Amino acid sequence: MKDDLEKYIRQCMQNEREGQLKIYQLFSPVLYGICLKYMKNEDDAKDVFQEAFIVVFQKINQFKFEGSFEGWMKRIFINKLIEALNKKKKESFFLDVFDPDTDFIEEQELDIPPIEQEKLLEYIRDLPDQYRTVFNLYVFEKMKHKEIAELLKISEGTSKSNLNRAKRILQKRILSIKNFKTA
Amino acid sequence: MKKQNIEDIFSSMENFSSVPPPELWSQIEEKLDKPKKKKRAILWWSAAACLLLGLMLPTVLHFSSDAGIKTIDNSSKNNNVVLDEKNTDLNDSKTRSIEENNIQKDTIINEIKSAENAVALGNSSEKETKNISDPSKINQNQKTTVSSINTKNKSNKEGVLNGKSNLEVNKPNQAVAEKSFAPNNENGFNTASKAETLNSEKRNSNQAVAGKSLVPNNENTFNSPSKFQIPNTEKVKANQAVAEKSVVPNKINTFNSGSKNQFSNIENAKVNQAVAEKSVVPNKTNSFNSGSKNQFSNIENAKINQAVAEKSAVTNKTNTFNSGSKNQFSNIENAKTNQAVAEKSAVTNKTNTFNSGSKNQFSNIENAKANQAVAEKSVVPNKTNSINSGSENQTPSSIFEDKLNLKNENNLASNPFNSALNKDQKTNTAAKGFKNEIITNERAIADNQKSTSKFGDALSKQDSVQLAELQNLEKGIVTVTPETKKEKEDKAIAKNEKWAVEVFAGVANSENYKNDKTLGNVNDSKQSNSYGVKTKYKINKKWAVSSGVKFNELGQSIANVSYMRTTNAFLTSSDYFNQNATVATSHITNNANYIFVPTNTIMALKSDNLETGKLDQNLRYLEVPLEVSYSIFNKNKTNISLNTGGFVGKLISNDMALNGSSIGENVNANDYVYGSLLSTTVQYRIYKKTNVFVEPAMNYYINPLSEQSFNQFQWGLNFGLNVSF
Repeated sequence: MKDDLEKYIRQCMQNEREGQLKIYQLFSPVLYGICLKYMKNEDDAKDVFQEAFIVVFQKINQFKFEGSFEGWMKRIFINKLIEALNKKKKESFFLDVFDPDTDFIEEQELDIPPIEQEKLLEYIRDLPDQYRTVFNLYVFEKMKHKEIAELLKISEGTSKSNLNRAKRILQKRILSIKNFKTA
Repeated sequence: MKKQNIEDIFSSMENFSSVPPPELWSQIEEKLDKPKKKKRAILWWSAAACLLLGLMLPTVLHFSSDAGIKTIDNSSKNNNVVLDEKNTDLNDSKTRSIEENNIQKDTIINEIKSAENAVALGNSSEKETKNISDPSKINQNQKTTVSSINTKNKSNKEGVLNGKSNLEVNKPNQAVAEKSFAPNNENGFNTASKAETLNSEKRNSNQAVAGKSLVPNNENTFNSPSKFQIPNTEKVKANQAVAEKSVVPNKINTFNSGSKNQFSNIENAKVNQAVAEKSVVPNKTNSFNSGSKNQFSNIENAKINQAVAEKSAVTNKTNTFNSGSKNQFSNIENAKTNQAVAEKSAVTNKTNTFNSGSKNQFSNIENAKANQAVAEKSVVPNKTNSINSGSENQTPSSIFEDKLNLKNENNLASNPFNSALNKDQKTNTAAKGFKNEIITNERAIADNQKSTSKFGDALSKQDSVQLAELQNLEKGIVTVTPETKKEKEDKAIAKNEKWAVEVFAGVANSENYKNDKTLGNVNDSKQSNSYGVKTKYKINKKWAVSSGVKFNELGQSIANVSYMRTTNAFLTSSDYFNQNATVATSHITNNANYIFVPTNTIMALKSDNLETGKLDQNLRYLEVPLEVSYSIFNKNKTNISLNTGGFVGKLISNDMALNGSSIGENVNANDYVYGSLLSTTVQYRIYKKTNVFVEPAMNYYINPLSEQSFNQFQWGLNFGLNVSF
């Protein structure tokens, strides 16, 4: 498998379509999933997905076979996603300032049955762009607030606050279905 | 049900995947193909542009004969005046100054600039009429001050301070020097230096801009052809130094020669920007900091120091220390951001002993927040390199942050002596991580600071002793990396095949695309042949120019031409023309025995002596073409190129034949013709350096005949042999 992957990457480096297709087939579901998580609109997700994949193929010669190829691709995708979100940010994106009084409310532990992925995706995508981005980076990419702050060019406090607010919105949504169901 | 927090609930989304719609791949595929199409479009456009140029060039040559020459004469006269002035200056004064911006003011822009400029002459001889030491005077004329000193006198080595010294509380100070040319035999101190801003305090901005300077000297001792030195400035908001396109071919350079953009002892500067572009420094001997660019020293509390150096080539025979170095920062305290960017530098030397081809060196930096060093595409083919050759991005004892895309080529790994000599030096070898952690090592190398500092305020004795020691240590150590060998081989091959000789022969067909008529009959196409020899010179991988000699024939045949033989007629040709002035234009041959009659006048003549026949006309030329070729495809043994250009032809044979038998010459034929050509060469390598080629071509003759229509287009197909060497 690993040898195959290397072969495909080398084919991509030679600009061979066969290798490109293989790479696409192997990684497109995961990468498309990421795009869907970051972008509210599916069309936007598709656009970024296309653009980022093209960048992957164009810059594949820069991959030095050190570290995970998937990780390398993910980084390109996340950069592209953030770039796209920044372009869209007219809606006072990343303006929140950290407020310890309101933002450090004890997180509630929820007692709920498992929720389908589609629903969860919907909740994530319904978050405001800013909260969603921070939530994605923190929860799924396991980035630290400091790293998120650097990447998004915001303060660490803002990152923390955004995450908190995202969590609170999600918590509210989940509780609302729970209450709806139990009622 | 298990209690869980939000993160747990969403943990299942971590590896969420969704198959993208199938049409996305086809769209990606389409976009991946797009750049090629774009390239093709560019090619077609460039071909079209070449064709247009090719067509226009001979036209312009043809039509703009006298007027153009006159204009050139005028401008050259002006230039002569300026040069003469300068020459008298050179001869008369022993210690003299040359005004810059006055040397080549052949353009209007320069003239305007020189009008605005206050040109200050620092003259150390008795002539002190134009003294610049009066600051108030400078303040009055503070728009632009251009000054530079060139000393021919050996004894004048203490240096003459340039304009803008000891100024306080000034607003913007700008120094602009453009297109300067200073050829000297010997230079003592700060010769040919430009735009020096000394001891200035509380300035808002200091800008020094110099473009296109050429300084060919025999000997330079200190700071020769240096530019933009801004020492001892305090509380400056912005110091900008820009140097572009400078060529410094010297024989001997000892210190800081070819250096640019030096900032020293600057305190509280907010922004120091130094940009140097496209500099070529071919020297024979360089001993210290030769070809260096963008040096910052003793800068305190600077917020941003940016140094950008692009496309520099430093071809030297002997370099001893820091040759070809770029972007050196030393003794910088409390700087917030130091950025050093060096791109595309080639350093081809025979002997380099220390830090040759080095880039982006940071030394003795304290409390710096971010130091970024980016070096790209550097080629360092040397014969002898001993220490730190081709090294890049050295950051000792500093906080160093790496960014993605940071490339390190020609690494220090091949140099075993580096670690031994510079123990405390942290070299940046791998930079693949998304973010590298910060490394702090404050004041750990107090002893090493002196030895690793690349330059100080001046070259102290201690430094020179250490330098000498280093040189002695490093003698005889040869490290030639396989990469450099390969480079050399590639270069050798490329060099070997710069020239090519082509022999070719082919067929050509002269065509009439404008439906031109002669004597009322349409000009038909005519086949001919051509052959010649060409030499081609390859400028680079893609472009080449060629010229040669070619024998070509332009022809046409006209069927059903009506003519009279004057031998049969009772009228002589002269009588005929006297009576029929309207048809006099049909006199196209020098043979008086035949009179050609245009179809529209046949009825008028009502002569019984009219005959019809086929008239062939051939014009043979010796042509000298000048072509530009662009290679659009080059793979394996095949090469396809597009050629365009123009030609000048000399008529060598002029023949008219009626029904196959020669009847003399065409009287309207021009002795010299111009034309343009466009062709495609498909070349295939058959043996070593021998190629065969096929060349479909199109020629356009602008003026084959003066008063008669003639085929002007010519299609051709040439076959030939090409030998490159």
